[in-house]
Amino acid sequence: MTGAYAQADKALYSTGEKVFKGNCASCHKPDKDMTGPAIKGAKARWEGKGDIHAWVKNSTAVIKSGNAYANELFNKWNKSVMTPNAISDAEIDAVLYYADNFVAPVKPGGGGDVVEDTRKAGDDTYWQWLLIVVLLLAIVVLSLGGVKHQLGNAVLEKQGKQPEPERSIWGNFVQWAGRNKAWASVLGVLFVVWLVVLGWDWAINIGVYGGEEVAHYKPSQPIAFDHTLHAGKDNLAINCQYCHSGAEKSKHAGIPSPSVCMNCHKAVSEGTKTGTTEIAKIYAAVGWDGKEYSGTPRPLVWNKVHNLPDHVYFSHAQHVAVGKLECQKCHGPIDTEMTVAEQWAPLTMGWCIQCHGETEVKVAGSGNGYYEEIHRRLVETPMGNRELREFLEDEKITVKELGGWECAKCHY
Amino acid sequence: MPSTKRYWQDLAQLDPSAEVVSRNANEFNAPLPIDQVLGDSTITGASTGRRDFLKFLGFSLSAATLAACETPVIKSIPYVTKPEDITPGVANWYASTYFDGDDFASVLVKTREGRPIMIKGNPRFGINRDPNLVNTSSINARINSSVVTLYDSERLQGPHKAGAASDWATADKAIAEGLAAAVASGKRAVLLSNTIISPSSKAAIAALSTKLGGKLEHVQYDTVSQAALTNANAKSFGQRMFPDYDLTQADVLVGIDADFLGGWGNATEYAWQYTSRRRPETVSAVRPMSRHWQFESRMSITGANADERIALKPSRLPLVALALYDAVAKGSGAAGTGAGSIDEHTDHAIQKCAEELLKAKGKSIVFSGSSDEGVQTVINGINALLGNYGTTIDVVNGTSFKQGDDAAVAQLVKDMNAGTVGALLIVGVNPAYSLPNAADFKEGLKKTALTVSFSGYADETASLCGWMVPDNHWLESWNDYSPKPGHYTTAQPTIRPLFDTRQWQESLLRWSGSTVNYHNFIQDNWRATMPTVAFTEVWNKGLHDGVHQAFTPVRTASAFAGDINAAAASARKSAEGAGAFELQLYTKDSIGNGLHANNPWLQEMPDPLTKVTWDNYVLMAPSDLLTTVGKKTFNDLYIGEQSPAYLLKVTVNGLTLELPAVPAPGMAPGAVAIALGYGRGENGERVGRAACLRNEDGTHAPVGKNAYVFSHWANGHLNYGAASATVEFTGNMYPLALTQTQMTDMDRHSVVKQTTFATWSEHKPHETYNHRHMLAVHADVNEDGVIDARDKVPTTEVDLWAEHPVAQVGHRWGMSIDLNGCIGCGACITACSIENNVPVVGKDEVRRSRDMHWLRLDRYYSSDMTHEKGKAEGKGKIERYLDMEVPSAQPKVVFMPVMCQHCNHAPCETVCPVAATTHSNEGLNQMAYNRCIGTRYCANNCPYKVRRFNWFNYVTEKFGQVNPAWDELGRMVLNPDVVVRSRGVIEKCSLCVQEIQATKLKAKKEGRPVRDGEVDCACESACGTGAIVFGDLNDPDSRISKLVKAERTYHALEEIGVQPNISYMAKVRNVEETEHHHA
Repeated sequence: MTGAYAQADKALYSTGEKVFKGNCASCHKPDKDMTGPAIKGAKARWEGKGDIHAWVKNSTAVIKSGNAYANELFNKWNKSVMTPNAISDAEIDAVLYYADNFVAPVKPGGGGDVVEDTRKAGDDTYWQWLLIVVLLLAIVVLSLGGVKHQLGNAVLEKQGKQPEPERSIWGNFVQWAGRNKAWASVLGVLFVVWLVVLGWDWAINIGVYGGEEVAHYKPSQPIAFDHTLHAGKDNLAINCQYCHSGAEKSKHAGIPSPSVCMNCHKAVSEGTKTGTTEIAKIYAAVGWDGKEYSGTPRPLVWNKVHNLPDHVYFSHAQHVAVGKLECQKCHGPIDTEMTVAEQWAPLTMGWCIQCHGETEVKVAGSGNGYYEEIHRRLVETPMGNRELREFLEDEKITVKELGGWECAKCHY
Repeated sequence: MPSTKRYWQDLAQLDPSAEVVSRNANEFNAPLPIDQVLGDSTITGASTGRRDFLKFLGFSLSAATLAACETPVIKSIPYVTKPEDITPGVANWYASTYFDGDDFASVLVKTREGRPIMIKGNPRFGINRDPNLVNTSSINARINSSVVTLYDSERLQGPHKAGAASDWATADKAIAEGLAAAVASGKRAVLLSNTIISPSSKAAIAALSTKLGGKLEHVQYDTVSQAALTNANAKSFGQRMFPDYDLTQADVLVGIDADFLGGWGNATEYAWQYTSRRRPETVSAVRPMSRHWQFESRMSITGANADERIALKPSRLPLVALALYDAVAKGSGAAGTGAGSIDEHTDHAIQKCAEELLKAKGKSIVFSGSSDEGVQTVINGINALLGNYGTTIDVVNGTSFKQGDDAAVAQLVKDMNAGTVGALLIVGVNPAYSLPNAADFKEGLKKTALTVSFSGYADETASLCGWMVPDNHWLESWNDYSPKPGHYTTAQPTIRPLFDTRQWQESLLRWSGSTVNYHNFIQDNWRATMPTVAFTEVWNKGLHDGVHQAFTPVRTASAFAGDINAAAASARKSAEGAGAFELQLYTKDSIGNGLHANNPWLQEMPDPLTKVTWDNYVLMAPSDLLTTVGKKTFNDLYIGEQSPAYLLKVTVNGLTLELPAVPAPGMAPGAVAIALGYGRGENGERVGRAACLRNEDGTHAPVGKNAYVFSHWANGHLNYGAASATVEFTGNMYPLALTQTQMTDMDRHSVVKQTTFATWSEHKPHETYNHRHMLAVHADVNEDGVIDARDKVPTTEVDLWAEHPVAQVGHRWGMSIDLNGCIGCGACITACSIENNVPVVGKDEVRRSRDMHWLRLDRYYSSDMTHEKGKAEGKGKIERYLDMEVPSAQPKVVFMPVMCQHCNHAPCETVCPVAATTHSNEGLNQMAYNRCIGTRYCANNCPYKVRRFNWFNYVTEKFGQVNPAWDELGRMVLNPDVVVRSRGVIEKCSLCVQEIQATKLKAKKEGRPVRDGEVDCACESACGTGAIVFGDLNDPDSRISKLVKAERTYHALEEIGVQPNISYMAKVRNVEETEHHHA
């Protein structure tokens, strides 16, 4: 934890972080170059060369205005256009502040919450210290035991009795256990409990793919389809929902029909990486011989990457159309890093409800008649008022507070 | 003295040889061939030692365990070209029409990924919907359950010749030739069908007939016939037809043996019309609450709803018609028929009934279900005297229902046996099962050269036919219907035919030489018969709405031209010759005429009154049954898990059936009744999965017995009764599966509340019939200076817990159930099972009270005993309770749908050790199946007993015969949005939370609040009478928030203070007496 962050205006930093993640993170990193340049230092770089606010809001306009630095940047970054952002000046300032004061999470690649990672790091050192102390104590106990044994033998020798034979540590333990059955049982029970807990922790991760702690599930697919090529911002940048059209309408985002591929691939028969081999598989699927459809299609059999258990109801439409979440929120950098689609998030219930507990739902002033009605009921009734005040203790209404942690929201 | 007995172990001991002696001495000491085994050099030389073996064993065990933990690879196959209107995961609804010859309804079919999974009434169009209700339309259990028979693996999967698989080309050629040959030989060629109300189907028949030189005859046969009524109309009004009744205009309804809310006429339409006049809140001086009189033998659901019900033996019912005619005639100044007295009580009732009818001239209807033309003519006479034709009854613009012609059917069977029928095509009926002279029919089939069945199953008739050319399931078919003049409805396929089947109309077109498909044929027929400038528009809109109203006929009066005296003579004759017991055959509200006996949901749906599943039985008045079996008290007749029913032998005209007896309060003494439609597949025909089960040894176990054998021909009509039957106790018992074994509500006024219209309309304080339950508290509530037992507050004001925040925040879902609107049809039960993947568990499990219905329909009979009366008679408490268990001989009936009450202070939630059942902030009591560990504490603690436990995994072979979810095809009907529960978890009504969530999502996406009536709760949308209303209690404008404030509204078991989100509305009977406070 650096001093800069400790002294920073936390509110501004977190606003910046939120705006950054919502608008910029698909192309930018705060401290490293990605599709676009690192934002750290951007404010300084633009100093005296133009209005950075105008640039962020609509870069094309600034380029057209003939701004020299803007054109330099545009050419430097392969002439890829930064998408216009509908955010306020204050929000841009917050993002710049966030980037300038950015502190990378301790565990790289997490993209999670800073505070949590710090705590984890603290936990690790705690264990190390504990281990050292335990080892030291063990050495002390063993040496004291040896001394005690020697002294005991000396006493026995003095009394003219047979000295106790030399035993191994295990032998000593067995002897001790034989004499102190109660303590030995307690230790035994604790040991078994420890084993059970270990086993439980291990078993709970069986079959869980994705996330940081377990391997990412990345099955092979019938076609070497590359998301970075099709959806990557610096490549074709096709909107996700062009192909996954169910995401806004249905619970399933859906795997696109090969007929959707044909919208483009009727013309594009050769790819940059795989040549004609992979695209030919689409043609085989739809029965296209280069001139006409044969009428004998052969459906593609994909390997499903994201598998939720049957007892969970998950709706893409709720999250995409209503919650306005970016696909990357759950699917990770699929458009920038995954040449083969893989499961990025663990998709465990803990992961779901963690997000439900943190994510804010804009109720008042959302412009959505449904949430406006919910807000009206919260404001206008005495009981609702009480709830509203409780909800707003952390200054936001979360999904959880609107019922996102209730069983029958997902299980029925 | 020591015993000298010796016990011989075997005969060899008698004369022990040396071998035996040594063997006995070393009985357990036979040497093991250890040396021999170890001496084998291949073993000692083996490279795998014992330790290695154990290592391998351990390794393979752990390897197998670990491998089993891996998630399998799941395949996903997208459409090659996605149909434009299908989005995987989003349901599509199509408007269609159901008609099977009996039941008619405009419906909506829900499909998911191209599979039909749910049927509900069309809430916007059709004659079966109340225009004043939202999101609901009247259908019955048979209609909404019919979706599962689509996925019946016993359906015929292609054409068959003489039982062996064939193909369509061969069939078409052979049948076309056979038809031509039959006509050429001068023999009759006949199409035998159920009632056809489809104009295009009739055109298709005409097309084939034209091809055959006009020689194809069309004979219509109604399995349960109303030919007496239609024939009487022919004589009375010159037109043979089933009238169009309008119950919305009727102030007084009189049913004489007519179950018009259940199995008689177009009941789906009558049901909503009936209840539209039964809501006390909507009555006015010009539209009073209707008065309903019912004269009948067996208690039907119509009788159960009646204000005044008089039970009489079947032979007395024609006399009621005559007496009523005379009484009405007297009041109208017409001549009577000279009807005699029946008995004092009935005479008095008829007199009173006639007075009311005369006061409501032109605003009443008298119905009769009689199979006697004379009786029906007398009824026509009464309606004519009352001036009902043209107001409540229209016989000019009548319906197309019930076109069956009994005389033609009888003649056909005669001709078949005489060998004068050359070709017989059979569609939609099963005469080899349902005709009284089925044996003659079967004999006749053998003498007919060409016999063709269109049945979807190799059923009793089809399996005897030369050709089986299976028809599509109705969900795979195109059709049009015209139930009334000017009213056209469409049926469209919602799935491609699953098997190699073809619509029967299309088969007729092929044989007529036409190559046009039936879809185009319907369009052509519409073009030809409905000249209109914009055909495409009319057709597209008709298909979209499911209904095309070409014109609306004006109600037209008709003059009665029947011969009353001749009719009266015939009616009097039909009342003669009564024996000790008179038999009446009836159709159940679940199974109907037997066409649907293969539907497991219907088999498991309890009968609304007897609560029996999976069987038919003999209904008897309890007093008669006691005499027959030689018992004394009503409790001896109890049927439960450990108490089987008495098996009786019923004999009519030398024919006998052995059936269990069910005591039926409300049954007329001296009458017995048996349900038709059972005993399908008695000879092992494959009639569908659930109709004829298999025993473990593979033998057939038909469900129930076929009672059509007791029907007979009388005066040229099919008659479903017998004047004389003998009933004997066989001495054997028979297990029956009942879902409710209790008869009465034990004088507890907190479960069902009821009152009379007189009481209600005087607007006395509603405490008279809907009192609040009070609790003594330690505070001086009445301010008399002392704290004592008189200091009471309503239980609703006492709380152990803090008020649940659902009260005003967000949504609070609730349901109101109007006991006046509930006629007991049971469509909600099947709708709920379909929507929520509720398993069918079979008779044996139901008998053990392990039925899984999330929604049950409780039926309470009134009892003669009350606490008040018992105290007055000086009876002790136990004695009173025992007496209260016994229903009255002629009881009043209340139906009460009960599902999870979603209590805000739910007793189940507090006892769950793993928090598997919790409360949502929307007022739902939620059940997380995957948390549940099956302690069943919740079920024990539930005061309403609505929680169901999965004793088994019902999707296993053990339940494969009854549970459609077992086989590959049957599980296509499951709702993919609802999980299929496994063994060891509790389940219960979720208030269709999947629909609530889906509706909320729809509203959020569209950026608007959830609209009232938008959530598609399965039971609500199946309740065409509008008794069930679901909605958001936090929405001040919703129907439900107004209903919960009504005077009639109460919570079941209010005194326990669990604060349910489900409320009930007290039943109001339109009788004159007022009630007194009974708290």
